[in-house]
Amino acid sequence: MPDFECRLKTFRQMKNMTQEQLATQVGVRRETIMRLEKAQYNPSLKLAVDISRAVEAPIEEIFIFD
Amino acid sequence: MKKNQKKWTVIIGVVVVLLNLASSWYSVNFNESRILAPMDYSEYIFQWKDLPMIASVVLAVLYMLYIMFFIIKTDRETKRQVADSNKTRKISPFFGFFGCFGFFGFLGFYTYHLDKNISPFFAFAFFGFFGFFYEGKMSGILMDERYRENLIRAQLTALKTAFVIIGVTLFLVGSGRLLGNLEYTLIAMVILVSLAFALALFLSEYLLYRYDHDDLYSESEE
Repeated sequence: MPDFECRLKTFRQMKNMTQEQLATQVGVRRETIMRLEKAQYNPSLKLAVDISRAVEAPIEEIFIFD
Repeated sequence: MKKNQKKWTVIIGVVVVLLNLASSWYSVNFNESRILAPMDYSEYIFQWKDLPMIASVVLAVLYMLYIMFFIIKTDRETKRQVADSNKTRKISPFFGFFGCFGFFGFLGFYTYHLDKNISPFFAFAFFGFFGFFYEGKMSGILMDERYRENLIRAQLTALKTAFVIIGVTLFLVGSGRLLGNLEYTLIAMVILVSLAFALALFLSEYLLYRYDHDDLYSESEE
């Protein structure tokens, strides 16, 4: 299990996006976004950058590692 | 395959089977089981009564060649579609019932005692087709990076498990001391390797499904 905190849900809701919309925008399945928001999946650098651009927030604020 | 084409393929298949049954019946009753029963073909002389049997066998071979050609063509088309769309191939979970063909493996115990034929034991490998149940449930979905990671993880675990089973089988059965009989040892090897093969096929699909779905529905979208 990845050991990090994920604040994607907060940033996504700030942008008024659904999981489905975000998933389509970054080219993954909604289930992957669900896992990411539960910090159960460690994304690739490319996906992290895509998500960061989609929700317009810095990567280090979305994914917080100890 | 178009619906009409599918219908005609099935109809022709049924006709070919019926023709073979009819010509076999004819051969047994009116042609002294020629061609049907084992015979020395080096001294074979054509007789007109042989024609129904020869024609039906040729038809059956042509039909099987067509089916093989069709399977290869469909497989290529599916692979191209999967590559273009980046989605898993579309397959019905009902194909999982093909796993029942694995039970034909038990025929091996009968054929072995009948004429020492052990080839049906390989049918145990068909148990692996039960994996289609899970592949069907995951059909037509986007193959994103998490899916690909899970796929590799599932395949690796399945292959490792099968590899361990084959290794233990080789160690225990291959030494030949466990059963004390070379024929039984061979049968045990065929059965266990077939089952390990089936397990690898099934487990890779099952684990992929589990990795993809575990804890997923405990949280709803907001």
